[in-house]
Amino acid sequence: MAIAVPGQLNLDESPSWGSRSVDCFEKLEQIGEGTYGQVYMAREIRTGEIVALKKIRMDNEREGFPITAIREIKILKKLHHENIIRLKEIVTSPGPEKDEHGKPDGNKYKGSIYMVFEYMDHDLTGLSDRPGMRFTVPQIKCYMRQLLTGLHYCHVNQVLHRDIKGSNLLIDNDGNLKLADFGLARSFSSDQNANLTNRVITLWYRPPELLLGATKYGPAVDMWSVGCIFAELLHGKPILPGKNEPEQLTKIFELCGTPDEVNWPGVSKIPWYNNFKPPKPMKRRVREAFKHFDRHALELLERMLTLDPSQRISAKDALDAEYFWTDPLPCDPKSLPKYESSHEFQTKKKRQQQRQNEENAKRQKMQHPQPHSRLPPIQQTGPVHPQLRPGPGSPSRSMARRGQPKRRWLQPKQRRPRQQWWWYRWWWLWRLCPVSPQGRGPPYPGGGGSMPAAGGPRGGAPAGYGVGGPNYPQGGGSGGGGGEPGPNMMGGNRNQQQYGGWHS
Amino acid sequence: MAANFWTSSHSKLLLDQDEVDMVPSMDKEKGLTLEDFKLIKIHMTNYIWKLAQLIKVRQRVIATAVTYFRRVYTRKSMSEYDPRLLAPTCLYLASKAEESTVQARLIVFYIKKHSTDEKYRFEVKDILEMEMKLLEALDYYLIVYHPYRSLAQLLQDAGMADLTHLSWGIVNDTYRMDLILIYAPFKIALACIYIATVLKEKDSTSWFEELRVDMNEIKNISMEILEFYDVYKQVIPDDRIIAALNRLTSKA
Repeated sequence: MAIAVPGQLNLDESPSWGSRSVDCFEKLEQIGEGTYGQVYMAREIRTGEIVALKKIRMDNEREGFPITAIREIKILKKLHHENIIRLKEIVTSPGPEKDEHGKPDGNKYKGSIYMVFEYMDHDLTGLSDRPGMRFTVPQIKCYMRQLLTGLHYCHVNQVLHRDIKGSNLLIDNDGNLKLADFGLARSFSSDQNANLTNRVITLWYRPPELLLGATKYGPAVDMWSVGCIFAELLHGKPILPGKNEPEQLTKIFELCGTPDEVNWPGVSKIPWYNNFKPPKPMKRRVREAFKHFDRHALELLERMLTLDPSQRISAKDALDAEYFWTDPLPCDPKSLPKYESSHEFQTKKKRQQQRQNEENAKRQKMQHPQPHSRLPPIQQTGPVHPQLRPGPGSPSRSMARRGQPKRRWLQPKQRRPRQQWWWYRWWWLWRLCPVSPQGRGPPYPGGGGSMPAAGGPRGGAPAGYGVGGPNYPQGGGSGGGGGEPGPNMMGGNRNQQQYGGWHS
Repeated sequence: MAANFWTSSHSKLLLDQDEVDMVPSMDKEKGLTLEDFKLIKIHMTNYIWKLAQLIKVRQRVIATAVTYFRRVYTRKSMSEYDPRLLAPTCLYLASKAEESTVQARLIVFYIKKHSTDEKYRFEVKDILEMEMKLLEALDYYLIVYHPYRSLAQLLQDAGMADLTHLSWGIVNDTYRMDLILIYAPFKIALACIYIATVLKEKDSTSWFEELRVDMNEIKNISMEILEFYDVYKQVIPDDRIIAALNRLTSKA
């Protein structure tokens, strides 16, 4: 099979191929951008339908079609559900394509491959990050129910999503929520015997069993992430924003208590339990931390943020929870307000500029932590705690701030020593752990070999259709002793691009 | 992939025997007969098997690779898709799809080790390029169901675990035919169990009756398998394969 001259390839062979050409679509604008690839909003020329095009980068010339894309395609071809993003087709671009800067595309064999998805207006993170955005309680219930319904469908079909987070939950202007980005998903057998990589799920949403190095796990990992998102929606900001694995684990223990053989039978057999066992036990304080949530919400959250994965609530049981069947009931998606979709490049740039300014302001203020801009939901009905109810406008804000002045001063002192001893252990562990025998890919999560870049997973959250990073090792590298060639999913790679997502 | 076969793309892609036995028109013009077509497929199945054994991959990967290979030739011609390149490429893609990735350079290494024939020798870039064409030819449907899982379950249910070895071997042999493109995997598994019980002279009538499957269909599949054994008892002489493959490269 000789390679034809790029231009000729198309003429000679395309009639016999299955896929249509990307020329059937007119690219309107770029809505996602990162080191991993691009997502475009496009119009199908024949029908005028608006779609999202996700480019599959083919720059790993040694291992061909990326395994992450294979996983995603394989799984999306199997899943058909109203709460799961629909892969409409796969199109190719024949010639060597030129990118925006006029340079030829990296792939010399053939053009690019695009996955064509239905178009969605927002993602959950982008939506809730809009200035002044407040979700109502029925709205949160509505989103949560859709999320759980979609996830239940995945789990019934024996698919683990393994990257549940706000930016992967796409929302359209009819209020429909759909799970997207199955680049880390994989199928599992119900006996949970296969070894899977524990380097999945964005740090803030990663469950304790993965952080402790488990390589046998199941659907419960996704449910932990759901719990984190649920609490985040009600609380108004991320609840466990760890900067690295040890700190993440510490934050989890501080909130959910420390695991032991009583509350989590078998925990001591998890590979790194002894390395990460905190010096003194801590009490579970989910109820104190979120006492401003209503009773049913708190009950459900407690069951999602259960340390022991075998006791954690399943998606099916969560859908049966009181929370979804008591007033205020989840609203009809169609009744939700329509938000102007605002993911244009310009808005992004504007936001980037705004963040830059905030950064500068922050730097000037030095160690004063920035109050998170996101706001808790509007409590329409149900029990209200007047003193805690965060009302609109400044008075309650200042009240909230008055509640935490001590933390501001204690934080740097407290954190530094702890972070250090955790950090070294963690560093050694990852170093000792064979990741990539071929020496491809970063030796341990964090990519660059230094501390994972600050900013947390949120910083570079690739929205929705997220394109698999090109740097994932594809060879026989097994993650953390797992039998699976695992993508090295962690802070670094994905988060290099600050505004990688398809944010609105 | 577990989950349900009947909702899968695999079940929708099942074909009739005559659809599978159609020599692509481009190959026909070059004088390729149906017999040649079948021989090449058998030969290449063996080739995939040998490569896979050298590389040491799981049974599932081999089965998926062979299925991809056979599926391609229900849609594409051998003159367009050189079987000597497509075979290792199917193995490469199947290893990814079945989550036990084998590096392309490793496959190339074993190709060179296995064969001294220049026409079988390909480089990594050839495989990667063919991978793209393969993905398109498969229309990106990568999930394949195999008889092995149902075989184990059915044998356990029947209490005939002692037949595992024999019937497993028969299932392996069915990949030298196109059965996987034509019948649901569990039916192939049942046919193989049926042959095994007949060979071992076990009485399984009551168990088969309880299954409420169309026994005629199972028996037909069994007959096809037995016929196949009968026809291809002897080793296919190499010169027949070479002659068939040469026909593809000749100008029509």
